[in-house]
Amino acid sequence: MSRLNNLNRRFFQPSQLHENWTATISDHVIDLAWSPDGRYIAAASVHGPVTIFEGQRQSVIHAFEGHEFGTMSIAWRPDSKVLASAGQDGEIRLWDMTSGEATYSLDGGAAWVEHLAWSGGNEPVLASAAGRKLKLWNVVGDLICEYPDHQSTVAGIQWKPDVMQLASIAYGGVSLWDPQHSEVVRRLEWKGSSLLIVWSPDGKYIATGDQDSTVHFWIMSTGEDLQMYGYQTKVRELSWDATSRYLATGGGEEVTVWDCSGRGPAGTKPISLSGHQDLLSVVRFQHRGELLASGGGDGRVYVWKLRGNLRSMAVHATTLAAGVTNLVWSPNDQYIAVGDESGGVSVFSLS
Amino acid sequence: MNTSMLHNQVPVTVLTGFLGSGKTTLLNRILTENHGKRIAVIENEFGEIGVDNDLVIGAEEEIFEMNNGCICCTVRGDLIRILGNLMKRRDKFDYIMVETTGLADPGPVAQTFFMDVEMQEKLQLDSVTTLVDAKHIWQHIDDSDEAREQIAFADVILLNKIDLVSKGELEQLEARIRNMNAAAKIYRTENAVVEMDKILNVGGFDLDRALEVDPQFMEPEYPFEWGGVYDLSIGTHELILQEGPDPTMKVALVPVNDSTDEDLGTAVEPVVMVFSDDEHELSAGGTLQPSGQLIALELTADELRFDVQIDRPGAYALFTEHHPDEFRAQLISSGALVKPAVEREFKPDHEHDDEVTSVGITTPGDLDADRLNDWIGDLLQTKGVDIFRMKGILSIKGQPNRFVFQGVHMLFDGRPDRPWGGEPRYNSLIFIGRNLDRTELTEGFESCLA
Repeated sequence: MSRLNNLNRRFFQPSQLHENWTATISDHVIDLAWSPDGRYIAAASVHGPVTIFEGQRQSVIHAFEGHEFGTMSIAWRPDSKVLASAGQDGEIRLWDMTSGEATYSLDGGAAWVEHLAWSGGNEPVLASAAGRKLKLWNVVGDLICEYPDHQSTVAGIQWKPDVMQLASIAYGGVSLWDPQHSEVVRRLEWKGSSLLIVWSPDGKYIATGDQDSTVHFWIMSTGEDLQMYGYQTKVRELSWDATSRYLATGGGEEVTVWDCSGRGPAGTKPISLSGHQDLLSVVRFQHRGELLASGGGDGRVYVWKLRGNLRSMAVHATTLAAGVTNLVWSPNDQYIAVGDESGGVSVFSLS
Repeated sequence: MNTSMLHNQVPVTVLTGFLGSGKTTLLNRILTENHGKRIAVIENEFGEIGVDNDLVIGAEEEIFEMNNGCICCTVRGDLIRILGNLMKRRDKFDYIMVETTGLADPGPVAQTFFMDVEMQEKLQLDSVTTLVDAKHIWQHIDDSDEAREQIAFADVILLNKIDLVSKGELEQLEARIRNMNAAAKIYRTENAVVEMDKILNVGGFDLDRALEVDPQFMEPEYPFEWGGVYDLSIGTHELILQEGPDPTMKVALVPVNDSTDEDLGTAVEPVVMVFSDDEHELSAGGTLQPSGQLIALELTADELRFDVQIDRPGAYALFTEHHPDEFRAQLISSGALVKPAVEREFKPDHEHDDEVTSVGITTPGDLDADRLNDWIGDLLQTKGVDIFRMKGILSIKGQPNRFVFQGVHMLFDGRPDRPWGGEPRYNSLIFIGRNLDRTELTEGFESCLA
């Protein structure tokens, strides 16, 4: 497939992404998040500090100190008024965008708090994962629920879109939780090590990227699972498109896209997109649109248009001076914010 | 992986050893030593360590199987996360030390550094360094898998607290350890005092040193267990033994230049030849003379005396099939007990039969890359669980550079090293593991020669 892709690229050169602005934070950008209202971009440095930029121009709104020993994860409350951060000091902080202060400091329950996820809904709930501990917090930082410990460190959490159900992945399989129950509501066992978990937007599938260079699909209606082999490396990059038809995956230098329409991805040949010269670090579909962005250790950013196996191609591209660590679409899908290994934060527009 | 990446790899030392063996003392020593390195320490409990410029991180010893159900691909999940995060920082550390808990199996820790491309590109397992409490290890070495594994996995072993044991006990311990792990560098220490260059950054060249052919361990199948040099005057001396575990014992008495350890060493090889000859039986009361003959002493009475007849004064080396202590052997001269000036044990604890052993293979010639791949692949598939460590230097046909590799269980990292240049090409590798079949390994390897 890669040869055909190369042919495609020879005739259709991707256009250069237009850089709107660029800035630098203190160290490697470990997490990046565009506020749901589109106004702010939060960038967390592996070193600790969290910088809030204005989305439209290179202007720093707040410089939060973040977490001692390093920040791990950030997540915007759906109303964009509060940013939650988690770090290696074992704390979760809620930063108020108006005052620029940390209004709450919450105990994650272990030395490292690695994952945060806000639910949707009128009264959003914040889930935090620290070691084997999974906790739920309300909007003002009250502990709602502390679930029984996982058997192993939680590797990823995600809320089911539009539903108050949380999926967590740890060595040993997937667990489903809801705030009404203090125990696990469903278990999908698998004796393996997963690195992240993503729901399809329609809630029909859960996909995990795995340490053993595979991708796992769980079909939620039946609990059956499929395992996709053939990756070059462990798979830390997964993204569903808005229609739940495509799952884009990394796990090497090529972007591999599974088509889950019809009878699902089992036995099908995925679309592979080549262009990166180093391992991928992120793949991300637009929130509503059909474009797929990817970033890699080679500093390249591609924006791909999927047109089946033969005609899929990169429509936009650019190259940063350092390896891409993260990439997010603006809520209106018109801009891409990219973080890199040397602390660069850049915003590009499609046109 | 290309060579330019290798220069950016951060070396890692994994420190193992039972509780009380001196790990914390050693760590403190490393951190306070003025070596100009920024060191990150990952340990299981926060001990009393930590110095200005360094970083101490607590770990949780979370072990999981990397592949579905594959026991020998266990890794440390907590380490993956901690190391992954450390490697992202701009203020890179020059060195990483990982301290394991006393009872840890070093396998999962060591395997973590071979588990995927990311780890291999950024980190280099410099050594597994094991501290052994010379006095208390005996309580564990026989009944604890972890203690044996810590010894078997080690690249460097510090026999610590040597001030608490006699020289003889130490010799015995070192010989026992040597038998289990022939490739490790062993240092004797008090209070974990050791030069830093013996334990930090030893990886690259250690491989060469570790694989130097040391006859004592590369060929541990000696036909005798003990050798000693006596200074003897002209006349007839007496060798007195008691009944022991066997009805006969083969011995050889040969003249040597002087009564030093070196002279004893020079006698080893010729005496190995002597032991392959036909034996001459000698009953109690018979006379033993220095000769190139193999003598089988008959030992079936309560007290057994043999005359030892010496015609020229000088140093004489006596080699015995079993350890003389097993027969309470004594050499008496003019009514007084004569002790050996120097002595050496060759195959210690022979009936102990450690299941953990080393198999070293050294052979000249070039290897056929395809056959080698097939053989190693098969071997690791079938024996990976029992092979703790393997490392080696290989000469691959058609390749101008030495190929160096090391592995932990089924995981494996190999790469081209410096060119052979004018040096004679050879292969040298060592396996350390449980229930290894020396003949099978050697024959298998030799079948890969081009």
